[in-house]
Amino acid sequence: MSALRSLGRSLRPVLDAVYNVCGYIAACFLLVILLIIVVQMISRWILDFAGLVRSVAGDGAADWVLDNMTYQFIGSTNYAGYCMAAASFFAMAYALNNGAHIRVNLVLTRLTGLSRRIGDIWCFSIGAFFAGFFAWYAIRAVYWSHKLHDVSQGQDATPIWIPQLSMAFGTTILAIALVDHLIRVIFVGETDLSAERVGETKSE
Amino acid sequence: MEQLPLTLIFLFTLFFLLGSGVWVGLSLLGVALVGMELFTNRPAGDAMITTIWTASSSWALTALPLFIWMGEILYRTRLSEDMFRGLAPWMAPLPGRLLHTNVVGCTIFAAVSGSSAATLTTVGKMSIPELRSRGYPERMIIGTLAGSATLGLMIPPSLTLIVYGVTINESISKLFIAGVFPGLTLAALFMGYVVWWSFVHKDEVPPPEPKMTLWFRISEARFLIPVVCLVIFVIGSMYMGLATPTEAASIGVIGAMILAALQGSLNFETFKQSLLGATRTSCMIALILAGAAFLSLSMGFTGLPRALAAWIDSMQLSPYTLIFALTIFYIIIGCFLDGISSVVLTMAVVEPMIRTAGIDVIWFGIFIVVVVEMAQITPPIGFNLFVLQGMTNHQMAYIARCAMPLFFLMCVMVVILVVFPELATWLPDNMRTRPPG
Repeated sequence: MSALRSLGRSLRPVLDAVYNVCGYIAACFLLVILLIIVVQMISRWILDFAGLVRSVAGDGAADWVLDNMTYQFIGSTNYAGYCMAAASFFAMAYALNNGAHIRVNLVLTRLTGLSRRIGDIWCFSIGAFFAGFFAWYAIRAVYWSHKLHDVSQGQDATPIWIPQLSMAFGTTILAIALVDHLIRVIFVGETDLSAERVGETKSE
Repeated sequence: MEQLPLTLIFLFTLFFLLGSGVWVGLSLLGVALVGMELFTNRPAGDAMITTIWTASSSWALTALPLFIWMGEILYRTRLSEDMFRGLAPWMAPLPGRLLHTNVVGCTIFAAVSGSSAATLTTVGKMSIPELRSRGYPERMIIGTLAGSATLGLMIPPSLTLIVYGVTINESISKLFIAGVFPGLTLAALFMGYVVWWSFVHKDEVPPPEPKMTLWFRISEARFLIPVVCLVIFVIGSMYMGLATPTEAASIGVIGAMILAALQGSLNFETFKQSLLGATRTSCMIALILAGAAFLSLSMGFTGLPRALAAWIDSMQLSPYTLIFALTIFYIIIGCFLDGISSVVLTMAVVEPMIRTAGIDVIWFGIFIVVVVEMAQITPPIGFNLFVLQGMTNHQMAYIARCAMPLFFLMCVMVVILVVFPELATWLPDNMRTRPPG
């Protein structure tokens, strides 16, 4: 038992770091979405600008603009979509620890002592089960997409297993985080979703 | 319905998981899984992954984190102080005086942020102490604030409308634009209420503010005006068809960063905090949407949506009766679930119903937002009530009582929407659209 406890203690900082790093990775993907959209927007403006040049300065100048200034960002919408998925999935565990995921805790908050603990155990175990199921099939999806050489239907023609990695990875971390909380509720008695304050959930 | 027992098990699982406090997104996913197992022989897991992957990596969804981020950036500026100082001189001459700063401030911040809790804290942080010190009655301060903050859900950019649009595959630009007039009408109703109050309770109105010159008024509003311009630009670019919602959102993010930088409140720390805040909120919504996407697939197999739509159709209800029934339904659901969850949870069932009844889906989007707005200020789970409880230390019941008149005004708003549907549909019918991409 004490060996388990010391294992738990030494794992604690590692796990917390993993959750946070995944949160930061998710934030970076959000930044990438912004960049992709800005680039796409500017390249479209240049196309519009070329049209303007054509009507003002003739075909020669417009073709020069088209040849030298345009950059066609092919498949940008698909890439932005992949980043969206990555930003969501990588942040799953991080959001959980910060109490960002909403739930109906009308009943749960009224419970105290042992009944509260049982309620928590129920939530974490059922949550861990669903997240684990999700993660298992997400990993399988990556495996099969890779094996069958599945390629995106869009213009980007990305092998689909690459963006799907984010789903497999993120859901696995979420499942691990839920199991982590479950173990803490069972053995330590309480767990820390400290930021979970009902009123502060900025969901609305 | 020959599968009645199975349907009952399915619905019971849904309410049990949600009610026992399992996270909403995971509950929806779990219920969908149960549904798949009960009603089909298809491999549930693989269908789940295909559906969720398509839903989560959709381009339309990218507007969501960007709009959240824009609000998070401005939330971390000194906008709160500037809002009150900038608005107060303009509102002072109106009957009801500075109480209008609550309504107008919320309207402006609602156009910056899609969240009503953020709207509430930003406006309330400054206006509650200022109005108290000037002797405005507490119930009016709290009531107007709680009510007006719900505008955050309606005035674009609205997170609820993005989620609604993504769920039923409708144009988010159109939904946003449709929200403009109803949002402003609601704000006007709230201001009308303040005016009415000032005439009925003349003795409770504090003494007028000192007179101020026009130049002073403008200089007090110097930080507010750029924010208003940014908002008009972001919404206008969607209306003119110059930008898709995602592009408008990224313009908004960059504009917000420039404004924050000019104010001197943009540094690495606030940048990081705003980005992480946006990541968390958008992840929360993405998990709900993932669960909901799978649930609507699973619902399709249960036959419940079709059966209900056929049933409603066979009753030959007038659209008015249907809307009335749905209003009651959403108010009840809203007592237990937040707005976004109640929209995604019900759309799989409600969408075929309204399409069969021939109700305009854009109009319905605005309707559903007004109704879930009401839920924000009704106990036991009104998010605005929780936030205000934290800010003012009043009892929840007291806050709910203060907000009661505004709740009735929202009911009036539903009636207005039903009688004059053009309020929501005229602008989107007349906007220029640009093909997505």
